[in-house]
Amino acid sequence: MNYTRRDFLKTAARGLAAVPLLSCAKEEKREINFFNWSKYIGKDTLPRFTQQTGIPVNYEEFADEEEMFAKLRSGAMGYDLIVGTDYMIEKLKALNLIDPIPDGALSHRGNIDPRFLNTPFDPENAYTIPYLWGTTGIGYNKSKMAKPPRSWRDLWDEKHSGRLSMLDNARDCVSTSLLMLGYPETTKDPAAFKAVRELLLKQKPLVKQYSSATYIDGLVAGELHMSMAWSGDVLQAARENPQIDYVIPQEGSYMWVDNLCLVRGSRHREDTLRLLDYLLEGPVAAEIAGAVRYASPNAAAKPHLDKALLSDPRVFPGKDIASRLNFHKILTPEISQLWNETWSDVKVS
Amino acid sequence: MRTAEPQAPVNGIIPVPGAFDHTLSFLLRGKTSRASHLLMTPAALWLTIFLILPLAFLLILSITQRGPYGSFVWTLTGDNFVRAFNPKYLPVLLRTLSYAAATTGICLILGFPFAYYLSFHAGSRRELMLVALMVPFWTSCLVSIYSWIIILGREGLINNVLLQGRILSEPLALLNTPFSVILGLVYFYLPFMVLPLYSSLEKIPRQLIEASYDLGAGAGQTFLKITLPLSLPGVFAGSVLTFIPCMGDFLTAEFMGSPQTYLAGNLIQNQFMMAQDWPFGSALTSLLLAGLVGGLWLYQRWEKA
Repeated sequence: MNYTRRDFLKTAARGLAAVPLLSCAKEEKREINFFNWSKYIGKDTLPRFTQQTGIPVNYEEFADEEEMFAKLRSGAMGYDLIVGTDYMIEKLKALNLIDPIPDGALSHRGNIDPRFLNTPFDPENAYTIPYLWGTTGIGYNKSKMAKPPRSWRDLWDEKHSGRLSMLDNARDCVSTSLLMLGYPETTKDPAAFKAVRELLLKQKPLVKQYSSATYIDGLVAGELHMSMAWSGDVLQAARENPQIDYVIPQEGSYMWVDNLCLVRGSRHREDTLRLLDYLLEGPVAAEIAGAVRYASPNAAAKPHLDKALLSDPRVFPGKDIASRLNFHKILTPEISQLWNETWSDVKVS
Repeated sequence: MRTAEPQAPVNGIIPVPGAFDHTLSFLLRGKTSRASHLLMTPAALWLTIFLILPLAFLLILSITQRGPYGSFVWTLTGDNFVRAFNPKYLPVLLRTLSYAAATTGICLILGFPFAYYLSFHAGSRRELMLVALMVPFWTSCLVSIYSWIIILGREGLINNVLLQGRILSEPLALLNTPFSVILGLVYFYLPFMVLPLYSSLEKIPRQLIEASYDLGAGAGQTFLKITLPLSLPGVFAGSVLTFIPCMGDFLTAEFMGSPQTYLAGNLIQNQFMMAQDWPFGSALTSLLLAGLVGGLWLYQRWEKA
């Protein structure tokens, strides 16, 4: 057989050309990887998207935002779309873990209520699409309480010793303690942190658990009387159990926004943008809010929202409560470290 | 050690068994000791990649600084170790030591009779009992934890039975107590105690025990003078294998504990996840590891002396 050098080169070139094609074919698995809080979406939201577009979505859950952050930071590959709370956006941006959302890529971007635009964590609206928002307050079981809690101080009530639960993160515990003690959120004053530590340590013997995930089961079972809680989580439970209720304490509290973000350099960008645009549609956003009982920052969702949800002051607080709600301030890394240390000290003591 | 006739060459290919045999005997017989060292390659590679490199990385990380947003700043510092020696961490260390010691003690008390029975009396039931011992260990750890939560909870199985039977009027607080944490630890690490005990009891030559009886010793004396001393290596191995993982366990305390049962494992896990302070977490891990290895080394020296 005559096999000239030119033939060889031709075959080799063809072979080489096939290499990228092959690897492409492998990567071309058309699926959006969506990394979100557990059960933080409507039941039919994603199946319907897949039905409409033919694009499958893989919904992966996390129960703890820091876990999500740790995964992304250590280079977990393959996530396209993530949900991050306001303060997390700051960290994700600083460590170059998210990409800006291209201008003009979304046709429903205008649906977002202007109240949720130009926020401290994304002043240019470059990186985030607000997804849902909620508040931090007190969830409680009516059958275990003589009267409903009104103040954060009620979580320090010795009558409920061993029946109290606190969210397990510095963000919520330190910020509300500062609020109770009357310090500004951005304080650097060592005396403030000493006072916060003492306040939380005074409560510690009464606390059954520091947990951000399991307190709902405890409230429903009656093992917990009261818990520092996130609004929607409690209200989902309240839908099935009328004994469960939620209150924003009189001292005021914090509201936070969860945002959709594009993971840096992720594949499937075009499909992901399509999903983003779909999630921004009024009826879709309304369906999600209805399912998870958090408020939607989507103005176009309002007409489609369940009337009961829209008029529920625990979800959409009225003027008087809203005036006592604030966004978390952006903390410098130095202050953030003080918060973490304070919380860590409370836990080890 | 030829067992089969040499195979005839097929299609001009050298018969594989011959070459294979040759290679094997080259490796195994150790005529040249260097060749048999080759056998260590897979294990050595494994250890290097999965133990030595990560440990080295951990050590390096422990002398870096935590930067903003949990990044690493590569300026070398001993701060993390200084911080780790802050007396505020002492209660956590003492608590962890006492929980690990209690778990080891309880495992020994429960495990020794069990291993003794397995070795001396179980007979044909032995296999079944060994499997029964291992089944919980093969079950996903989270599934086991949730099962315990169902059993121990305020509205759980035990409390329900006690309340229904009118033995109690108020449910017992079983879950989220030191009791439930130690129970969980004993449950998870009991096989680590029983298996070494069992294997050391198995190794005791039965003739020694018979000889002891023949020489007129009673059952008690035989146990104290023969069986127990000869099983001590198993007691030691079992205790070490139970104690060490207990020192680093965090899942049990996380799910079955309370704020009052915060252990060293939880402290370390919180540095890596919640506080995003990997350098400090690495320093704590290195110190814990150094303490355990050092303790083991001292013990062995003391035992030899």
